[in-house]
Amino acid sequence: MSIDVFWRIPTHGEPGSHRARDPFRGDWFPGNDNKTLSGLGGGGDDGFTYIDYLAEIARAAEISGFQGGLIPSFPNTDEPWVISAFLARETKNFRFMIPFQPGFLNPVVAARMTASLQRATGGRALYNIITGGGGPSQLWWGDPVKHDDRYGRTTEFLDVLKGIWAGGPFSYNGQFYQVEDAGLPDPLSKEEYPEIYFSGSSDAALASASKHADYYLSWLEPFDLIKDKFARVKERTDHLGRKIKCSIRVDIVARPTEEEAWREVSRGFENIPKEILDRYKAQNAGDSVGASRQRGLRPQTINSYKDFILSPNIWTGFSLLRGGQTLGIVGSYENVAARLDELVQLGTDAFILASTPHLEEAYRVGEEVLPLVRGKSGASNLRAVA
Amino acid sequence: MANQFYWQLPTSGDARYGNATRQRRGEASDPNYPVFGNGVTDPRRNAFSYFDYIHQVTKAADLSGFNGIFIPDNPDGEEPWIVAGYVARSTQRLKLLTQFDASRGSAVYAAKNAVSFQRYTGGRFAWHITEGSQDERIRKQLGDFVPKQDILARIDEFITVAKGVLTTFPFNFVGRFFEVQDGGFQGPLSDRQVPSIYLGGNSTAQLELSAKHADVHVLDAVEHDAIAQQIAAYRQIAQGRAVDFALRIDVLARETREEALEDAKRFLNQTEAAIPADDSPLLWPGFSEQHTGAKASLIGSYDEVAAALAAYAHLGVTQFVLAAVPHFEEAYRVGTHVLPLVRQLTNPAQKQAA
Repeated sequence: MSIDVFWRIPTHGEPGSHRARDPFRGDWFPGNDNKTLSGLGGGGDDGFTYIDYLAEIARAAEISGFQGGLIPSFPNTDEPWVISAFLARETKNFRFMIPFQPGFLNPVVAARMTASLQRATGGRALYNIITGGGGPSQLWWGDPVKHDDRYGRTTEFLDVLKGIWAGGPFSYNGQFYQVEDAGLPDPLSKEEYPEIYFSGSSDAALASASKHADYYLSWLEPFDLIKDKFARVKERTDHLGRKIKCSIRVDIVARPTEEEAWREVSRGFENIPKEILDRYKAQNAGDSVGASRQRGLRPQTINSYKDFILSPNIWTGFSLLRGGQTLGIVGSYENVAARLDELVQLGTDAFILASTPHLEEAYRVGEEVLPLVRGKSGASNLRAVA
Repeated sequence: MANQFYWQLPTSGDARYGNATRQRRGEASDPNYPVFGNGVTDPRRNAFSYFDYIHQVTKAADLSGFNGIFIPDNPDGEEPWIVAGYVARSTQRLKLLTQFDASRGSAVYAAKNAVSFQRYTGGRFAWHITEGSQDERIRKQLGDFVPKQDILARIDEFITVAKGVLTTFPFNFVGRFFEVQDGGFQGPLSDRQVPSIYLGGNSTAQLELSAKHADVHVLDAVEHDAIAQQIAAYRQIAQGRAVDFALRIDVLARETREEALEDAKRFLNQTEAAIPADDSPLLWPGFSEQHTGAKASLIGSYDEVAAALAAYAHLGVTQFVLAAVPHFEEAYRVGTHVLPLVRQLTNPAQKQAA
């Protein structure tokens, strides 16, 4: 069984490289607050909007061999449902991985949106169900439900979605959701149920994932932790009689030589302003278990990018370059492929990869790294013959 | 501002016939019952979906001079926000009037999705917010257990929150249905283009809600006198807060009245509906309501239909939400033969210039 590799769509602008900090594609550059500067090139009125650039990335990803892409959703990003619908018609293979929190949508509406998107794309929609986060940010989204309750709600949401998917009639009387004699109408009810990638590290998350996820999705963590985590997920779901697969989303810097890759990271590190480094040291917010696990990996002293090297090719400073997760893979094409293969050996069945800028790097990773990944085949790649 | 014309997209199937089950354009045919029988090879396989047809109707509306498309929310059909996004990239000027009800979920999430729509389309996204089905049984099928008497209050809160986070930072709100803390969008998401808001209904409570929130109040198709009364009723309640009025009405227009009547009767035969004894009125209540949702249809020659629409315009209607079956061919017909006449009748200056 070969592994699925996805790419990522950058939903809040795009710096030119890992060295640069400010977006130069899209309008997320500093100072563009409360303004309508819709153009792509630094915000000038060039007749384009950010979706024109995202369309380029989606095409680059599908042309260079990725399954599709994760389309992240955060308070200051564009929204994945919209992006997926907008790009449905101009992509051929690209699978739209839509992250969303179940509390934000009536499950019957979500089912209709998904089935329509499946019809519009020939079955290319899938979910990344998110439940974590918490604290004030959850109320920013307009969601007052508490952390452990939210996983209960996620379970109920997916119960309803699955129940009505094939047409029903389905009735459900949950704590958060109720439906009576519900079901998707024909022909929407003929569509394939979306594959579900599920995020969350707490026990409540794992219980919910065990019931509904196809893939358990984790950030990259130290390899021994990943191995334990995936073993625990698989044990738990096996216990419930469901087989679940595991996946990792990870940022990478891949270059022809390892030296070039580290040079890129080093330049990026030199460009981090002091106040960002200070804030990083003091960071503490949210009740996400995954986020606090990653905070524990912070180096004691920070003098050089090298202080963030955890193990061969694993760098823990990515959140300082771009925000988001901390661990990523840095190295030659062969190095990166080897680390991915190790992760496959530890139980990984799928990857969501990303690198900046997402457009050019989609081609690079598709052309240079993916052909070197052996996955579960174990055999060396035929490409080595040439 | 000149009158605005919207063409309705068929979100739940379309065909040439009154009996809509007979054919659904773009749907992959059942392999057990090939449409062409054994006589002709069918090269389509699964190359097309119903969305390809919806896309064609959209392009037809764009090319034939409409100002927007109306994407109705039929629970038996495609989800309107997905349809709006799907067709958006292929249009340059059409407004995307998208219908939904306030049971869809978080108002903040709806507003945030609207931000991306507005950013990507240059502010062409518009909301027609309805009360959903009047039938409680159907609302429960759709996961909505809020009692009927609370539905307008929920719409009120939904719009308050959506407008709040789209225009204010930080925005705080605690209501019966929605709650936000320090909400609102920053950076490039804060461009503050609230979708145009369309509401409807003739009860005092509905008119008051429109007076509070709507940019456009949508009227169902009835005779001209009744429209005049409804507009007067709104103005009495609104105490000076102006809205635009939109009329949602179907049209069956042909070169001659005889042809229109012939086609109207054939359509009713196909739907197995009764044919009216008196076919002289222009407005036929319920004519294609099952297909389009509009309460009545104008039936007549191009001149007659255009004159009737212009007469509504003279009463204060400035926007028309039109539909006809089948939606693709009729978009071209109405755009080509009816809209120019209405525009001339309602804007004589333009006629002189031409």
